[in-house]
Amino acid sequence: MTHRRTRTISFLSVILLALTAIGPLFGSVSAQDDRPVLVHATNSGDKATFDPHLASGTQDRTVVDMVFNGLLRFKPGDASVIEADLATEVPEPVAEADGTQSWTFALRTDATCHASSATEAYPLTADDVVFSLQKSANSDTSGVAGDYAGFEFVKVDDATVKVVVPTPLGPAVFLPKFANYGGGYIICQQAYEALGADGFANEPIGTGPFKFSSYTPQTSTTLVANDDYFRGAPKLGGVEVRYIADNTARDLGLESGELDVINGLPEAQYVERINQAGNQIADVFGVGEAVWLNLDITNEYLQDPLVREAIILAVSRENHLALAGEPVAQGIFSIVPTGIVPGALTQEEAQAAEVDFSQDIERANELMAEAGYADGFSLTLVTSEQAAYQTQYTVLQEELAQIGIDVELEVVQHAVMHEQIRAGSNAITIYIAYRPSADTYLTQFFTSTGGSTNFSQFQLDDQVAAARAETDAEAQIEAWQQLNIEILQNFAGFGLLYTNQVYVRQPNVDYGHELISVPQLYPGYNETTTITE
Amino acid sequence: MLRFIFKRLLLGIPTLFAVLTIIFLLMRVAPGDPAYAVLGDYATDDAVAALRTQMGLDKPVWQQYLDYLGGILQGDLGDSLVTRQPAWIQIRTVLPYTLELTAAAIVIALAIGIPAGMLSAVRRNTFVDYFVRVISLAGLSAPAFYIGLLLMYFLSAKAGWFPAISTAGFDDPLENLHALVLPAITLGLVETAYVTRMTRSVMLNVLSDDYVRTARAKGLPSRMVMVRHALRPGLVPIVALTGVFVIGLIGGSVLTEEVFARPGLGKLMVGATTRRDYTLLQAIMVVYALIIVLVNILVDIIYTLVDPRMRKR
Amino acid sequence: MTATPSVTMAPTAPIAVISERRRAWRAFARNRSAVVGLMLVILIILVAVFAPVLAPHNPLTQSVPNRLEGPSRDYLLGRDAYGRDVLSRIIYGTRIALQVGIFSVLLGGFAGTAIGVVAGYFGGKTEAVLMRLVDVLLAFPDLIMGLLVMAVLGPGLGKLILAIAFTMIPRFARIAYGQTLVLKEREFVEASHALGQRTGVILYRHIAPNIAGELVVLASLWTASAIRLEASLSFIGLGVPPPTPTWGQMIREGTVYLSSLPLLSLAPGVALLLTVFAFNLVGDGLRDVLDPRSGK
Repeated sequence: MTHRRTRTISFLSVILLALTAIGPLFGSVSAQDDRPVLVHATNSGDKATFDPHLASGTQDRTVVDMVFNGLLRFKPGDASVIEADLATEVPEPVAEADGTQSWTFALRTDATCHASSATEAYPLTADDVVFSLQKSANSDTSGVAGDYAGFEFVKVDDATVKVVVPTPLGPAVFLPKFANYGGGYIICQQAYEALGADGFANEPIGTGPFKFSSYTPQTSTTLVANDDYFRGAPKLGGVEVRYIADNTARDLGLESGELDVINGLPEAQYVERINQAGNQIADVFGVGEAVWLNLDITNEYLQDPLVREAIILAVSRENHLALAGEPVAQGIFSIVPTGIVPGALTQEEAQAAEVDFSQDIERANELMAEAGYADGFSLTLVTSEQAAYQTQYTVLQEELAQIGIDVELEVVQHAVMHEQIRAGSNAITIYIAYRPSADTYLTQFFTSTGGSTNFSQFQLDDQVAAARAETDAEAQIEAWQQLNIEILQNFAGFGLLYTNQVYVRQPNVDYGHELISVPQLYPGYNETTTITE
Repeated sequence: MLRFIFKRLLLGIPTLFAVLTIIFLLMRVAPGDPAYAVLGDYATDDAVAALRTQMGLDKPVWQQYLDYLGGILQGDLGDSLVTRQPAWIQIRTVLPYTLELTAAAIVIALAIGIPAGMLSAVRRNTFVDYFVRVISLAGLSAPAFYIGLLLMYFLSAKAGWFPAISTAGFDDPLENLHALVLPAITLGLVETAYVTRMTRSVMLNVLSDDYVRTARAKGLPSRMVMVRHALRPGLVPIVALTGVFVIGLIGGSVLTEEVFARPGLGKLMVGATTRRDYTLLQAIMVVYALIIVLVNILVDIIYTLVDPRMRKR
Repeated sequence: MTATPSVTMAPTAPIAVISERRRAWRAFARNRSAVVGLMLVILIILVAVFAPVLAPHNPLTQSVPNRLEGPSRDYLLGRDAYGRDVLSRIIYGTRIALQVGIFSVLLGGFAGTAIGVVAGYFGGKTEAVLMRLVDVLLAFPDLIMGLLVMAVLGPGLGKLILAIAFTMIPRFARIAYGQTLVLKEREFVEASHALGQRTGVILYRHIAPNIAGELVVLASLWTASAIRLEASLSFIGLGVPPPTPTWGQMIREGTVYLSSLPLLSLAPGVALLLTVFAFNLVGDGLRDVLDPRSGK
C-alpha cells in the first residue's frame, strides 16, 4: 500500500519537475559589458518588423533608430534642425537642363556596417546607399515607396551618391525624406542580401551606435554598443527594449527600479503626479502626433456641407484636448499641425480666415434642421481598441449625440481599424499621425495619390503638386496654409490637437541631448546617452 | 501500456485535424489582415498589396490550406506572418514560461486545496468548514486578472517583495522563481478553490463508505484512516481534475500573462489573434492541441496507476 | 454527478412532485449561505431593473474637463476618464452583466442540452459525430474560444452573448449526454418506447424533465462563470462597445489609474465579485439540495 502510494506521488512530482526542468534548455543569454545597460519599456506587446522601411510601430522605430543612420539626421532631441549624418554635409539642389533637379550627397568614409550572422563587418559605400534607397522606393520592399516616386539614385563614385528628382522640390520637402526616418534609413546591402528579407526583418544590420544582439518574442530586444561607431564608442554598454503593453506594469517596473525609461501615459495629470512625487522624471516632448477629423464628403449624409458644418460645430476642441490636457496635448487649428511643421495655421491665422470653428450646439442643430435632418440620423464608426483612438471617438460620440447623430462605435483591433477605414467604412475618420512635412500630410490625406488614406475624399491634387514644386520657402508655406484654409472652408477636415510624447526616466538617466522633439517618438538614444552612478 | 498510448495518440489525430481546420477557416473569415498589422499607419494600397504577396495571402484559400497541411505533415509549422520568424522558434521561447507557470499553479492548487478540503470534510458543519467553503467559493468568483492586479499593486509596488514584471529568464533560477510567485498564485487561485471543493466532497463520500467506518470501528487512529483509506480512492477524481486543469490553466494563463507582462503561450495566442498572424496562431493551436492530447493520455496512465481496477478497461 | 435528481423522479404523479418540491425548498431554505446568495441575486436583479431610479446621474453624460475627480458628495465613487459618474456606471453595468450571464447560459444551455440528449438517445453515428464535435469545442479554453468567436463576429452585446454561449455548449452537452445515457436504460423510458410514443415526445416528456434538475444547478454556477468570462473578455478589450458601461471595461480603464485613483477599478471589481459570488452561492445551495451527499 505505502509503496504504491509513494510511487504515485513520486510519479506526479516527476511530471511537475520535468515540466519545470525543460525551462533552462531554452534560456536566453544577455549581453555582458561593464558599461551600464539602459532598460527601456515600450508600450507594445511585441515587435513586428525591424526592416526600417516597413517599421511603423513606435516599438520597432525605437530599435531601428539606434541601429541605422540616414544620410542626414534630425538633430538629436530637436527635429526642427536637419544635419548631416552619413553624408558629410547637407546638400544643395541643382537645377538640371532637362527640368529635373539633382542633389548630391558626399558620404563619410568611416561608417562601418555591423557584422551579421551571415556577413562580416565592412565599410559602408555608395553601393549600399543606392541599394538602400532603391529598396525604399520599391513598393515590394518598402511601406513608404510613394515618398520616392520617380526618384533616381545614381552612384557617382564610392563616396558620392546623386539623387535626381523629376520635378524640383524645396528643401523642406526633400531633406526629411533622406533623414533618419522611414525610407531614409540606410541599410547594408551585403547583410540584406545574405539574410534575405525575412532574415533582415529579424536581424537588422546598419551602421548605428548600437548593434542588434537578440530578440526574445514578447519579451525584449537586446542591442549592444557598436564600439566602431563613427562618432565614437557609446557610453552605454547596450540598450534592452522591453515589450510591456500594460501601463500599470510599466509604471510599477519603473518604481521598483527594474526599468530605466518607460513610455508613460500621455496625460497631463499623470506627468504632474510623477514629477510631484519626485522619484522619477516625466518628460513631455515632441514631435506631436496630430489628431484630426476627416469628413467623408461622398457619404450619404455628409455630402451635404450643412451636415458637415453641423458636425464640426458640435465638436468642442477643448473637450478633446482635456482628455490628455496641456502641455501633453496642444490645440491645432488646421490639418497640418500647428507648431510642428511649417505650413500650418495658427489660431490667429485661422480666425482671420474665418475657419476657427468653436462649439455651437444651437447653430449646429439649426444646420441639421436646415439640411432636413431635424430628427438626426445614425452612423456606425469603426475605432481601434487603442486608447488614443477609442477615447477620442468616445468623446465625439457624446458630442454628436447632442445634435441628434446617433453614433454606434465598433471597437476593433488596431490592424482591423486601419484596414476598414481604408476601405471607406467611416463617414468620420479620426486619424492620428506624425508626418515630417506639410506636403506629406496633404499628399497622403487630401489627394488622389494618397489612395485609400484620402479618408475625406476631398482632393486637392493640382494645388498640392503646385505647392510641392514651389521652391521659394515662404511662398510654399503660404500655399500650404491656403490649402488648409480650403479644407476647413469645405468642412472636409478639422484639426483637433496634437499629442506629445511622454516618457518617464530614472533621474540618473542622461539622454545626452535636450528633449524638444524626436520624430521617432522615443527619447532618442545614441553614443552620448548614459546612466550616471 | 505502449499500445494503449499509441491508440490514444491515433484517436487524437482527427481532433487535431478538426481544430486546425476550424482555426484556419475562422481566421480567414475574420475581418482584418496581417499586412495592415505590420504596416499600420503606413498601410498604403501599394505597400499592402506587395506585403500580401510576400506573405502568400494572394493565393487562393484552398491552396493556402493545402500548403499549410503539407507543411505540418513535414513537421514545418511555417513562419510567423508578422515577425517573419519561424513560428516554432517563437513558441519554443515562450512555452517554458507557460509550462512552469502552469506547473507552479497546480502545485499550489494541490498543496493548499487537498489539506483544506480534507480539513473541511473532517470538521464538517463547523466554523472551519463554513470558512473554507465560503473562501473557496469566493476564490471561484474572483476574476484572476483583478486579483493579479491587486497582488502586483500591493506586494510588488507597495511592499516591494516581488518584482513587478516577471520576465526573468531561466539562466537565473532563483530570480525566475521569485518572479513566478505572484503569477502562480494568481493563476492557481481558482484551481485551488476547485481542488478544495472537490477534495471535500470526495472525502465526504468516502468517509460515509462502509470500509472507512469499519476501519474506524477497528480502532485505527483517525488520521491513519484519512490517509490510508479515504485519500487513496479519493485521489482518482482529483487526479482527473488535475488533468483538466492543465488544459484550463494553459488557456487561463492568458490573463495572468497579460497582467504580469509575462511571456507565454496564452499571450502569444492573443497577440497572434489581434495581429491576424494566421500561421503563428495555427502553429500555436497545433502545439496546444498536442499538449491536450498528451495530458489526457497522462491522466489516463495516472488513473491506472492509482486505481488498478481501471487497468482492465 | 450520478446522483438521481429526486425532484423529477415521478413525472406522472403531480402530488408527489409538489411534496418533493416542498421538501427541496425546505432543504434549500435551511442552507443559510444559499439563502444569502438568493437574496443577493434578487437584490442584484432589482438593481438592474431599477437602475434609472437608483443611479444618481446619467451614466453616459461626459464632462471631460472634470475627468478623474476623486469621490465627492455628488459623485460618491468619483468620475472616470471622461468625467462620467462611476457609481451610476456600476449600477447600469449590472444590466449588462445579468444579460450576458443569463442569456448566454440559456442559449448555450438549450443548444448544448439538445446536442447531448440527441447524441445520448440515438447513439450510433449521430452520437459519434456530435460528441466528436463537442470534444473539438472542448479543446478550446473558454477565453480562447471567446476571443476567436469575437474576432470573427466583431464587437457587440449580442455577439458577445453568442460567443460566451459557444463556450457553454460543450459543457451542457457533456452533462446532458451522460444523463441521457443513464435514463435511456431506465424502465419508464423503455416503457414509453414500448408503448409506441414518438421519439420527440419521449425526449421532451421524459428525458428533458429528468435531467433538468442537474442542469439547473449547473446553469446557475455557469451563469457565474459567464459573467466572469464577460469581464475577462472586456478586460482584454473584446466586449460591449462604448459608451455602454460594463464592469470588465471599467476595470480595464481603471487599472491605468490604479496608483492615483484605485476606486476606479476597485469598485467595479467588487460589484463583479459580489455578483459572481451570489450566483455561485445559489448554485452551490441547489446542488446540496439535489445531491445531499455532496453538501451535508
